[in-house]
Amino acid sequence: MIEKALKGNRNYWIWISFLALVIASGISAYSQQRWFGLTVTGMGRDVSWGLYIAQFTFLVGVAASAVMVVLPYYLHNYKAFGKIVIIGEFLAVSATLMCLLFILADMGRPDRVLNVMLYPSPHSMVFWDVMVLNGYFIINLVSGWTVLGAERKGIPPPRWVKPVIYLSIPWAVSIHTVTAFLYAGLPGRHLWLTAVLAPRFLASAFAAGTSLLILLTIILKKTTGFDAGSEAREKLAVLATYAGVTNFFLIGTEFFTALYSNIPSHMHSLQYLFFGLEGHSNLVPWMWFSLMIGLGSVVVLLIPALRASSKWLPAACAGLVISIWIDKGVGLILGGFVPSPLEDIVEYSPTLIEIAITLGIWAIGALLLTVLLKVAVAVKTQE
Amino acid sequence: MMNEERRAFIKKSGLGVLACMGAASGLIPKFSLEKTVLPAWDEKQVPGKIRWGMLIDTRKCIEGCKECVAQCHHVHNVPDFNNRKDEVKWIWKSSYNKVFPTASQQFQSEKIAGRSYLALCNHCADSPCTRVCPTEATFKRWDGIVAMDYHRCIGCRFCMAACPYGSRSFNWQDPRTAIKDPSLAYPTREQGVVEKCNFCSDRLVKGLLPACVEACPQQVMTFGDLNDPKSEIRGLLENNETMQRKPELGTKPSVFYII
Amino acid sequence: MIFFGLTLVLFASLYAFMQDGMAEKTTQPQAQNLHRQVSVDSTKCIASKEFMRANHMRVLNEWRNSSVREGNRIFVAPNGSKLEKSLNTCLGCHKNNKLFCFNCHMYANVKPKCWNCHISAMETP
Repeated sequence: MIEKALKGNRNYWIWISFLALVIASGISAYSQQRWFGLTVTGMGRDVSWGLYIAQFTFLVGVAASAVMVVLPYYLHNYKAFGKIVIIGEFLAVSATLMCLLFILADMGRPDRVLNVMLYPSPHSMVFWDVMVLNGYFIINLVSGWTVLGAERKGIPPPRWVKPVIYLSIPWAVSIHTVTAFLYAGLPGRHLWLTAVLAPRFLASAFAAGTSLLILLTIILKKTTGFDAGSEAREKLAVLATYAGVTNFFLIGTEFFTALYSNIPSHMHSLQYLFFGLEGHSNLVPWMWFSLMIGLGSVVVLLIPALRASSKWLPAACAGLVISIWIDKGVGLILGGFVPSPLEDIVEYSPTLIEIAITLGIWAIGALLLTVLLKVAVAVKTQE
Repeated sequence: MMNEERRAFIKKSGLGVLACMGAASGLIPKFSLEKTVLPAWDEKQVPGKIRWGMLIDTRKCIEGCKECVAQCHHVHNVPDFNNRKDEVKWIWKSSYNKVFPTASQQFQSEKIAGRSYLALCNHCADSPCTRVCPTEATFKRWDGIVAMDYHRCIGCRFCMAACPYGSRSFNWQDPRTAIKDPSLAYPTREQGVVEKCNFCSDRLVKGLLPACVEACPQQVMTFGDLNDPKSEIRGLLENNETMQRKPELGTKPSVFYII
Repeated sequence: MIFFGLTLVLFASLYAFMQDGMAEKTTQPQAQNLHRQVSVDSTKCIASKEFMRANHMRVLNEWRNSSVREGNRIFVAPNGSKLEKSLNTCLGCHKNNKLFCFNCHMYANVKPKCWNCHISAMETP
């Protein structure tokens, strides 16, 4: 089936070459990082995680959101998702691969990565996260590819694939819950030390992931003529809307608990992110932009007429993705490190090398997604 | 299974050589062999029997004196990059509101709030860093020391996020370039691993006290077994008002302070 | 070549006997009562050359794990003599040949990471 990815028009190859170029620059930046160490990044003693772990957190959400199409289609036999479900699964595969690459990029000794398997430590959440992420990658790749292969031959998919697909549903929830538990169990990091972190992760994932999926179907319609169907998009938009509402509700509860209780350690990170702390306010414009564009997008999505509009829907979806990318991919991780355990405020900004590596990993994900979707569209349209 | 076989083989094959060497050394008594004195730790260790701890009498600590820091960092080849971002530290001095941020701050006397306080790894009894480590590269030893196995660390820096005391440092770059006065008796670390105070497990095994304790001109620090009711440190804890850093987090630090 | 290496190793280990042992400084009196003491003699090779040539990496690996992680720092040789499980025990004798590890590893193109942290004889004055 993979040979279908080797046949494409000029634009397809221009896109592939562009991605290859970005990947190459990422690899070159990574070789610098391997040689000189993580000192080439903006991270340091006080803010010891940065862009990589933040991207990882955001992308776990994108991966988990595949459940929003898999569950209605396979569990509730919701036929309108018939064409979109494979896009969701392949998006999950690419996002999970990016997650794993971001973890690898963040490690000081990636050559020892197998130690996680050699010395399994069930008391460590990282161990579980590596397990569930690898599992999710395989589950989605296998189920998506098998169903697509059967479709190509015009036969029903093999019976063993059904339980695998059902397994992917709780598994999707597990990957983001475990990812939240990475942060939510650390004493002394008060921004993360909250029971609503896992629910918040899931809500923001289902909002941003489904929005991204809607955008993908629109792009596919424009570039390949393959239309997943406007009914599917509308239904997904409703799901994204309420996930978005839930997300902002949960953020609101965080504010209430921190500010009303007036406990300094609980307030500091939020104060730093949204108002600045002791003159340090690098992230303030980002956070307000995220909040405004996110709330604005949710309002647009809540109005049925705008939600159905072919102009407003993609705009609102893009707004929601950007908002949640900033909230999870910038604010949440960096905010957790301010102030430091020794009450110091150190601000972080990524270096060019770090950004090049990040873009490189995104390009690898985009390349995999392009190839997988190329195959899927070719099969679906009987090219 | 493998190990047993290997041991047996080492024993058999080594016997001859060792016998020869023993005889040779007996023949030439003038050339005395190196004698190392080590505690009898060749038996299986009993976890939890000993719990090493430290008491810091901050009243005796001289403002501006950094003997302990210098000695520790020299003995353990701790690099000095002279910049905050790449900083590696095992023991350091910091202000009251940074070392004890959750202690009473308002209207605190200048005498107390104005002093600097020593901070180092607390070797917590319930250590969050060992809980989160995915490879057990950092682990709780039988004697209460939170140890690092630098051979195993993957550099994920989870322990740094988990430690509520900022006691862990990452080697953002090759530390060897920044060790001015290396100590040959102790290894360095390498780029990409996390490091921290080891409570001088390297010196304890030789029957020596930790380097900081020994270096202090004022005998500010008392080191001993917290599980031994008759130890000097327990006596001091019994007769003084002491405190730990951030006790509300339930980590049970093994480092205590007299303020 | 092999015989040359053999004689080299033999000479190196013999030469060690002619050096005066660096006796450990007397320990702190107050620290001494913390432990029961045994004397450890870390000057003898732990096994035959042939065995060590084939298995030194396994021995070192086991020493590393049992000493760092289990705190079992003492290796009891078949004749009852005790050695400290430490790379320094090996180097205590073998540092007389600064190229002791490097010669073979270079020849075999093996690049162990020991010397990224441990200080080799090559780096000592």
